[in-house]
Amino acid sequence: MTEKKTARTRHRRTSPHRHQPGEGRCMDILRQLSEYIDDELPSDICAELRHHLGACPNCEEFIASLRDTVKWCRNHQPPPLSAQERAMLRQEILQSSKLEARR
Amino acid sequence: MYRDHVDLIYRYAYRLCGEVEAAKDLVQETFLNAYRGLKDFRGEAQVSTWLYTIASRACLRMRRKRKGEPERELSLDEFVPTSDGEFRLQIPMDGLTPEEALQNKELREALDQAINKLPKKYRMTLVLRDMEGLRAKEVGSIMGLNERAVKSRLHRARLFVRRELSARGITQEDHQARQ
Repeated sequence: MTEKKTARTRHRRTSPHRHQPGEGRCMDILRQLSEYIDDELPSDICAELRHHLGACPNCEEFIASLRDTVKWCRNHQPPPLSAQERAMLRQEILQSSKLEARR
Repeated sequence: MYRDHVDLIYRYAYRLCGEVEAAKDLVQETFLNAYRGLKDFRGEAQVSTWLYTIASRACLRMRRKRKGEPERELSLDEFVPTSDGEFRLQIPMDGLTPEEALQNKELREALDQAINKLPKKYRMTLVLRDMEGLRAKEVGSIMGLNERAVKSRLHRARLFVRRELSARGITQEDHQARQ
């Protein structure tokens, strides 16, 4: 992680140019980022994309932030149902079901 | 069926509704509809996929009744950063695993709020794919979409959540104070 960060920081300092938001290639990249993150792009497009990312710190930061967002979504757990809530819900469903059957 | 799937459907319902009582209502509606339709279930899909489908439809019906808000389309153009500061998140979680990062209450709340702000068809796609971990094909069969459409909605949903988090930011002090 530290190694990666250092490499990224070093790259940022030496990068020859910084693309601007909404520029043509950056927009192409923006369109494909989810498929890139999900590893669903053909290998030649992936290589091209990696090449662009290496030269564009803005896109590199953007993809890192999207990757973080997806990771957090994947790991975000809601509070679980308690055993009591589970039993109460079951009771309510059974009651409603019986009422319906009687109609 | 109830015992084996209630936790799964409650978790899905909570992620869609964003609060406990609405999630319980949705669980109830889902199982009632499932019992009603059990005789027609031919076992072509897994029971869980069938229940996800019933829950998704019930959720759309319930939300329509409650709010009647028009469905907003998300365009890629609205997610193009307009200044240098918008490319990264102002959330200092470098070096932390996702589980460690999510111990931060403010991050969890920011994530909940961002997901709840998503138009419902985008939220449903994000929840099924990224949070429930279903494959794009399964999400498509639940939502009645082809895989291409699922991926397109998912991408916009992710960009939306990213932008909401980016706009909000969490300061280092907040992060340390809530550890």
